Amino acid sequence: MLGQQLANGLILGATYALFALGFTLMFGVIRVINLVYGFYFTAGAFIALYLTRNLGWPMAVAFPAAAIASGVMAIGIDGLLLTRLRRVGAPELASLMVTLGAVLALYATATALLGPDIKRFPASVIGAEAMEFAAIRITQAQVLILLATIVLVGGLLALMHGTRLGLALRAMAENPDAAGLMGIDTIRLAALVSFISGALAGAGGVLIGLNFNAIQPYMGEAMMLRGFVVIIVGGLGDIRGALIAGLLLGIVEVLTAGYIASGLKEAVAFAILVAVLWSRPAGLFGRAVTRRA
Amino acid sequence: MNRRHLLTTALAGATVTALPAFAQPAAIQVGAVEILTGPAAAYGIAIKAGLELALDAINLKGILGGQKIALTVEDSAGDKNQAINAARKLIGRDKAVVIIGPTLSNEMFAVGPVTNERKIPTVGTSTTAAGITEIGPYIFRTSLPESDVVPVTFKKAQARGMKTVALMYANDDAFSKSGYDVMKASADKLGVKIVATETFGSKDTDFSAQLTKIKALKPDAIAISALVEPVSGVVLQARQLGIGPEVQLIGGNGSNSPKLGDIAGKAADGMIVGSPWFIAKPDEVNQKFVAAFKAKYNKDPDQFAAQAYDCMFIVAAAIERAGAADSEKITAALAKTSFSGVMGPFAFTSGRDPASADGVVVLEMNGGKFGIAK
Amino acid sequence: MPPWLDDFFWTYQNLVYALGVNGLLALSIYVVLAVGQLSLGQAAFMGLGAYSSAIMTLKFKLPFLLVLPASCIVPVAFALLIGGPTLRLSGVYLAIATIGLGEVLRAVYLNIDWFGGALGLSGIPERAGIGSIYGLLAAALAVLWIIGRSHIGRAMEAMRTDETAAEVMGINVPRYRLGALLASAVLAGLAGALSAHVSSFIGPNEYGFEPAVTILSFALLGGIGTPIAPVLGAWILTLLPELLRGLADFRLVFNGVIIVIAVLFLPNGILPFRLRRHGRP
Repeated sequence: MLGQQLANGLILGATYALFALGFTLMFGVIRVINLVYGFYFTAGAFIALYLTRNLGWPMAVAFPAAAIASGVMAIGIDGLLLTRLRRVGAPELASLMVTLGAVLALYATATALLGPDIKRFPASVIGAEAMEFAAIRITQAQVLILLATIVLVGGLLALMHGTRLGLALRAMAENPDAAGLMGIDTIRLAALVSFISGALAGAGGVLIGLNFNAIQPYMGEAMMLRGFVVIIVGGLGDIRGALIAGLLLGIVEVLTAGYIASGLKEAVAFAILVAVLWSRPAGLFGRAVTRRA
Repeated sequence: MNRRHLLTTALAGATVTALPAFAQPAAIQVGAVEILTGPAAAYGIAIKAGLELALDAINLKGILGGQKIALTVEDSAGDKNQAINAARKLIGRDKAVVIIGPTLSNEMFAVGPVTNERKIPTVGTSTTAAGITEIGPYIFRTSLPESDVVPVTFKKAQARGMKTVALMYANDDAFSKSGYDVMKASADKLGVKIVATETFGSKDTDFSAQLTKIKALKPDAIAISALVEPVSGVVLQARQLGIGPEVQLIGGNGSNSPKLGDIAGKAADGMIVGSPWFIAKPDEVNQKFVAAFKAKYNKDPDQFAAQAYDCMFIVAAAIERAGAADSEKITAALAKTSFSGVMGPFAFTSGRDPASADGVVVLEMNGGKFGIAK
Repeated sequence: MPPWLDDFFWTYQNLVYALGVNGLLALSIYVVLAVGQLSLGQAAFMGLGAYSSAIMTLKFKLPFLLVLPASCIVPVAFALLIGGPTLRLSGVYLAIATIGLGEVLRAVYLNIDWFGGALGLSGIPERAGIGSIYGLLAAALAVLWIIGRSHIGRAMEAMRTDETAAEVMGINVPRYRLGALLASAVLAGLAGALSAHVSSFIGPNEYGFEPAVTILSFALLGGIGTPIAPVLGAWILTLLPELLRGLADFRLVFNGVIIVIAVLFLPNGILPFRLRRHGRP
C-alpha cells in the first residue's frame, strides 16, 4: 500500500507543481500577485475541451493550441490591467486588488456563458484504463502529468539559467528599475512573462482537467490556495523550489490522509507551511532578503 | 444622522433599479432564494428551471379565480449573508407571501429563523440535513431527508450480500455530513460492520489516498455522502485504483443526478442510489414533466428540478386552498397538503417534513444512466 | 413609524448590520496595514470571536454584556501566540502564514464535534443590534482617528513608508507591530461576536481564505490614508452585490468590473487622503 500511496502523493504533488510553475514565474519576475492566474488555468481546459469536442481535433494538437491561446489571453488581460498601474507607479497592492476584481468578473462571465455544470473531455481523447507496475496503478493522464512536469521544469530552468533572455528575466526580478536602465525593455519582457505563465497555466488546466475529468469555470479558483502555499514554501520565482515544494505538499497530504486521518490533511499541510515560514522566513530555498510588499 | 441619510439614499437607489418592470397588481407574490451565480450555481439553476416550468402550467389557468403567481427568484451566490438579504428583500419589498428555498441546508439555517420570525411559510426543496424543520413552525421541506432514503438503499445492498462497508463523506458541508450520520446509523442498525470512515473536502479533486487505504481493507461496499461533483471524482479514482465491480458503490442523495453518468461514465456502473424520483419513472405525470422540461430547456431534468417542480404546485395548491394570499392561512393550508406529483403522493408530517418515503426506489447506474436496481 | 418605513428597515436590517460588521473588519485590516504589515489573519480572528462568543451564549448561557467583551480573549490569545514568530515575516510571506492560520482553524472547527462540525452552530439568539454594532464602530473609528493624529500615528506612517528609516529614528518597530496585531484581533473578534449574534447561524467555511481576501479588499479599495477610507471601501463592496440584484446572472460580472475600473483610476484607494497633523514635523 505504501508504494501506491507514494505514487498517489507524487502525482498529486506534480499537479500542484504544474499549477504553480507559471504562478511563481509571474510572481517572481513581475512581482505581481496575479489572481487572474487561476482563470488562465480554467481557460486552457475549456479551450482544449472546445477544440477536441466541438472541432474534433486530436489532443496532441489541441493541447499546445490551448496553451498558446491561454498565453495570448494572458498578454491581453495582464496588459489591460497592469500596464496602467505600472505607469502611474501605483502601490503593489493595487495590482492585487485589480486582479481580484478582474477574476471575479471573468469567472462570473465564464459561468454565465458556459454554464456552471461540470464538463468532461470525450472518452476517446485519452485512455482511462490504468496500467499496473509492481502493484502500483497509474493512468495515462497521470503519466502525462509527470512527464509534462519534468519537461516544463527542465525547460524553464534551461530558459532562466542558460539563455540571455533568462538573464534579462532574472535581472528584472532582482531590480526592475536597474534592469530598465541597463537597456532591458521591461514592458515587453513583462508581456513575455505573461505569455509564458498564461501558457503554463493553460497547459496545467488541460492536463489536470484530463486527469480528474472534471472541467468547470471555477476549477482554477480551487487550486489557488495550494498554489500560494507552493510558491511561498518554494520561494518566489524559484522554479526548482516550486517543484520540490509541490511534491512535498502532495506527498504530505496523501500520507496524512492515508496513515493519520483524512480530515487532517489540510491542517497538516498548512501547519507545515507555517512551520517552514517560521523557521525559514523566505521559503525553503530562499535567501534571506527583506522586501516590502 | 448624515451617514444614515446617505445610506437611505443609496438604498432608495437600489429600489428604483430593481423594481419589476410591469408588476400586475393582481399577481400573488412568491419568492425563491436560490444559488444562481458562483461555484454552486448548477443546483440553483436546476431548481429555478423546475419552478418556472411548473409556474407556466399554473399561470395558464391561474389560481384564486384567475389570479397569476409572480415568482421572483433571487440569487444568494451560496453566501449566507446574501441569502438572508435576498429573503428579506423578497418579503419586505416584494411582499412575497411564501418563500421557496434556499438551496443549501447551511443557508436555510441562516434564512429560516428570519422568515420564521416574520411568519412567512418557507419551503425548502433541496435541504436534506437534519434539524431543518425544527427551526420553527413556518419552515417546511418537500425534499425527503436522508434519514428516509439511505436506509432503503442500505437494505438493498445488504440483500446483495454487504457485510462490511467503508464510509466516505465531504466533511465541510452540512448536507454531506448529515447524510454520513444517517449512513452510519443505518449500517449500525443493520449490523453491517464499518471498516473505515474517510473524509474529504467538497472542493477536493484527489481522493487517491483515502481510496488506496479503503482498497487494502477490502470492504464489500463503499458508501459516499457528498454532492455529485466530488462523488464522480471518487468513483472515477476508485476504478483507476483497481476497485472493481465486486465492491458495491452506494451513493447518498447527492449522487442522484444525471451528472454522475455524464462525468464518471462507465466508472459509475453498478452504483446504487436511493431516490424519491428518477427520470424514467413510467407514470404519465412524470413523463409529461420530463418531455416538457426537455422541450423548454433542451436538457434532461435532475432530481433538484423535479423536486422544485412539485414544490411549486404544492405551494400554488396551498394558496388556492387558503383562499387568499395570506401567509398565515397558507401555512395552515400547506400543513394539510395532499398532492400527487412527479415524485408520487405527497403530504407533510406534523413536523413539516415529507410524510411518506414509500416512493423511494433504489436506482442503479448502468452505461451512464440510472435505472431501477434489480 | 409608518408601516412602509418599518418594512424598509426590516428588509435592509441584515444589510445594515453587515455594513457595520464589515466596517469593523475593515478597521481590523487597517490597523495592520497602517504599520506596513500584510497580515491577513482577520478572518481567522473573526471566526475565533464568533465561535467563542456563540459557545459562551449557547453552552454557558452567559449574558451578552459579558460575552461581547470576552469574545476578544481568544483572538487576542491567538494573536499573542502567533505574534512572536510571524512578526519576523514580511510582505506576502506574512500574508500566506496568516491565511494558513485560518485554514488550520477551519480544519479544527470541522473535526471537533463540540464546534458543530460542518453543521456549524445554529440557534444563536439575536442579541446584537444597530446600537451595539454602530456604537462600537463609531468608538473604534474615533479612537483610531485620535491615535492616527498623535505621535503614534506619525510613527505608524513612518513604518509604513520606510521601516528601516523608522527604526533608525528610534521607533520600536516590533512593539508597534505586535500592538497593531492585537488591536486587529480585538476588532475582528468583536466583529465576529456581533455577526454571530445577529445571524443565528455560523459555519466553519465563513472564516477561511476567501473572506480573508474580501476583508483585505475593503482596505485596498477604500485606501489606508485615514481610518474612514477602509470603512467606505467595506460599505461599497458590501452594497454592490445588493445594488446590482437587478442584473441577475451578470451581477457578479459587473461587481468585478466596477472594482477593476475603480482601482485602475484610483490606485491609492477611493479616499487617498492622509490625516493632517499639527505640531512638530
